[in-house]
Amino acid sequence: MRTIAMVLAAAAFTATATPGTAQQRPAPRDTTTKRLSYPVPPAARLVAITNATIMTVAKGTIPKGTIVIRDGKIAAVGADVAVPAGAQVIDGNGKFVIPGIVDAHSHSAAEAINEGTQSITAQVRMEDVLRQDALGLYRELAGGVTTLNILHGSANTIGGQNATVKVRWGLPADSLLFEGAPPGIKFALGENVRQTNRTVLPGQERRYPRTRMGVEELLRDAFTRAQEYRREWQAYERARKSAKKGQAPVPPKRDLQLDALVEVLEGKRLVHCHSYRADEILMMLQVAKDFGFRVASFQHVLEGYKVADEIAAAGSGASTFADNWAYKLEAWDAIPHNAALMAERGVRVSINSDSDERARRLYQEAAKAMHYGGASEEEALKMITLHPAWQLGIDKRVGSIEVGKDADLAIFNGHPFAPAARVEMTLIDGRVFFDRNTAPTLEYLMELIRQQQGPRQVTEVVP
Amino acid sequence: MTKARMRIAECGVVVIGLVGGALPAQSTPQTTKADAIVIRNATIVPVTSARIQNGTIVLRNGRIEAVGANVNAPSDATVIDGTGLFVYPGMIDAGTQLGLTEIGSVPGGEDTQEIGDFNPHNVAVTAVNPHSELIPVTRVNGVTTAITSAEGGLISGQAGLIDLMGWTPTDMAVRRQAAMVVNYPSLGGGGFGGGGGRFGGGDQSDAERRAELDRRTRALRSYFADAKAYADVKARATNSGARKVNQAMEAMIPVIRGEMPVIFDVTTADQIRGVLALADTFKLKVVLRGAREAWRLADTLAMRRIPVIVGPTTSVPGAEDPYDMTYANPGVLARAGVKIAFQTSDAANSRNLPYNAALAVAYGLDADAALRALTINAAEMFGVADRIGSLEPGKVANVVVTTGDPMDVRSVVRHLFIRGQSLPLDDRHTRLYEQFRARPRTGS
Repeated sequence: MRTIAMVLAAAAFTATATPGTAQQRPAPRDTTTKRLSYPVPPAARLVAITNATIMTVAKGTIPKGTIVIRDGKIAAVGADVAVPAGAQVIDGNGKFVIPGIVDAHSHSAAEAINEGTQSITAQVRMEDVLRQDALGLYRELAGGVTTLNILHGSANTIGGQNATVKVRWGLPADSLLFEGAPPGIKFALGENVRQTNRTVLPGQERRYPRTRMGVEELLRDAFTRAQEYRREWQAYERARKSAKKGQAPVPPKRDLQLDALVEVLEGKRLVHCHSYRADEILMMLQVAKDFGFRVASFQHVLEGYKVADEIAAAGSGASTFADNWAYKLEAWDAIPHNAALMAERGVRVSINSDSDERARRLYQEAAKAMHYGGASEEEALKMITLHPAWQLGIDKRVGSIEVGKDADLAIFNGHPFAPAARVEMTLIDGRVFFDRNTAPTLEYLMELIRQQQGPRQVTEVVP
Repeated sequence: MTKARMRIAECGVVVIGLVGGALPAQSTPQTTKADAIVIRNATIVPVTSARIQNGTIVLRNGRIEAVGANVNAPSDATVIDGTGLFVYPGMIDAGTQLGLTEIGSVPGGEDTQEIGDFNPHNVAVTAVNPHSELIPVTRVNGVTTAITSAEGGLISGQAGLIDLMGWTPTDMAVRRQAAMVVNYPSLGGGGFGGGGGRFGGGDQSDAERRAELDRRTRALRSYFADAKAYADVKARATNSGARKVNQAMEAMIPVIRGEMPVIFDVTTADQIRGVLALADTFKLKVVLRGAREAWRLADTLAMRRIPVIVGPTTSVPGAEDPYDMTYANPGVLARAGVKIAFQTSDAANSRNLPYNAALAVAYGLDADAALRALTINAAEMFGVADRIGSLEPGKVANVVVTTGDPMDVRSVVRHLFIRGQSLPLDDRHTRLYEQFRARPRTGS
């Protein structure tokens, strides 16, 4: 369709402006411009967001304050912060600023999601299949999301390696990766791994495992193999160091699958485990304990509220849906109070999307933790910012508005949990990646049609 | 006492069941009958008239007896202090599968898809399970009434308008046969979430898909033609004339006479144009549903007084659409003068109806218009505005008492009345919550 290309092309000619201020958009000139030409304005070295209500998450809310951004990092934040000379000023009057939203469970930008042929595929990597032009990314920016945990699917007991990304939509694909984020891996338990709801075609064989016991066995087998593999390498390293010249030992065969699992054993790779039922959560905790690693986050974890103490004691996070339930048997005991109840029991909880649709309105999803179970506003906000950042091991960098952290910010038209909440502007590393004022909105599309085809064509009249 | 328990206890007339104990039919009232209920000192939002500060509303015998600023409480009434609270009419979800589905992946509980393209004789209310766990979960968020129907095929069957309470499907029905549901064919490729009788796999060429679309569009049109012929013949037939009764055709008679509204599930502007043409030929009483490209025809729809059930707003626009299209479409329609209502197109999360509307408000729909769309407009579309959809004397007492705007996720429902019955604010979820909140702490 031409229209959206025109809208995006038109946006290319407009400079970044303050959110919410009326601004004349120039008429489109190039109707052939492809979607990827959507411009991302370069970062200003010095940016100040002034007069905004700042929900820092870590240190309370500043009713009227200023955030100064220098070279992509937050340089100052507070009520009495002066705007440095030469700063690009974003007028935040009447606006609310929150840390950029972190979605701990996403499949956006992934061209493929499941390597579902075997139940253990620790060797495959999501970073190899990312597309920077995936539209889901743009829509997530428009919902204030700045960081995603792009996970392998849940077809396998041990799935592929996840990619933590910043939503730098429109820049080359390798710009997506969150530099310095610890690596991770997807595990999965329950119905999907057992292929419970899968229609088996005639002649097709069932894949092992078909029971939750089988899932445990596979995990233990995989980590036993990983331990042996690690011992082989340790022995080799010892032999190599003590070997005489010309008598170097032969190294063990490199196994990409076991390499990833050894990293898990050594605490260098975070485990994000898809789970539903309380029993399988306890099983996973026991396996992790026996092999000496920590599960960084249980994903979905819909029955987490039943074993919240155990999850908290193991130091694992829980990343759940706000209110999804009843779509399958293992989601039958899901309750929307899950997030608030786990938080009450000391678990660090995040609300995730697992969906390009929900990801666009995670702020609304987070507020449900207040509605069901009475989480505080701060706790609810943490569930889409600081807690998911902690679960991904990037909380030193993002998740709150503090000096020294990355300037990843979402600017709302009002309180983010209010019914009329809307994202006006989204910044990553101080760079404006979304600005509603220049974005291809429906309103703007209608304006374009009006300009080009006359007012009667905006909404055509069918007699 | 825990928060949820307190909320239940605040319902003065509720008999509280033991949490985790024997669970009687969950969508049925567990109340004792008081003569009258009065809610005082509340902000009352009647929807069809201005909001009333410090107002009083009296419910008696299932109806609203009085509402206003200067209403005296009858002496026999159970009094609820509404200080700081808000009173709204129950909300209406104009598109659900409530009662027809329980656990999505368990086929035994699914009555949402019949075999075949034409099932106008299938009446959804027949298969509504009044004791579905999904029903209390929905109503405790203030959704008291819903359109429920099967989906799929071309004519999916007859939708029912049900109150979310009752011992039997008939008890629940406000209108057993509220509308015919037609899944208007489309070329497909409209993205997720839209309606539209899509078909064809990835293997089909564009030409093949177009041919299939033409075939299905013609099949639908000729079905309406058959129905018209059937109705004409029946009207002319004498008592003595032998005539074969066709159940499906019989079901189409009120449709072809323009008596029964037809809900057309559509996504694109092309589909809407097709529906308008079909409606012109057969003089149908059209209600569009889904219709996220309806903004393109807003003036037409306003001029022709064709109502639109929008939503779910929680769906992703097509690949070529503006990012905010599903959010902004309702506002464009309402401003053009189109009557809109909302649907979730869901069952398990029909409770999110007001939050669907909130997204539309954020992107341009007037907040009062949104409230009408959540209540009275749907009642008007299905001919029951004299009974439900607003707080007026004489109307059925579907009443929700909240801590704030129901579109604000932070608001909670404090009291709930359907047909004047005070209903407990518990459901499968609150019971599990209470049960596991009480689990002794483990050191582990």
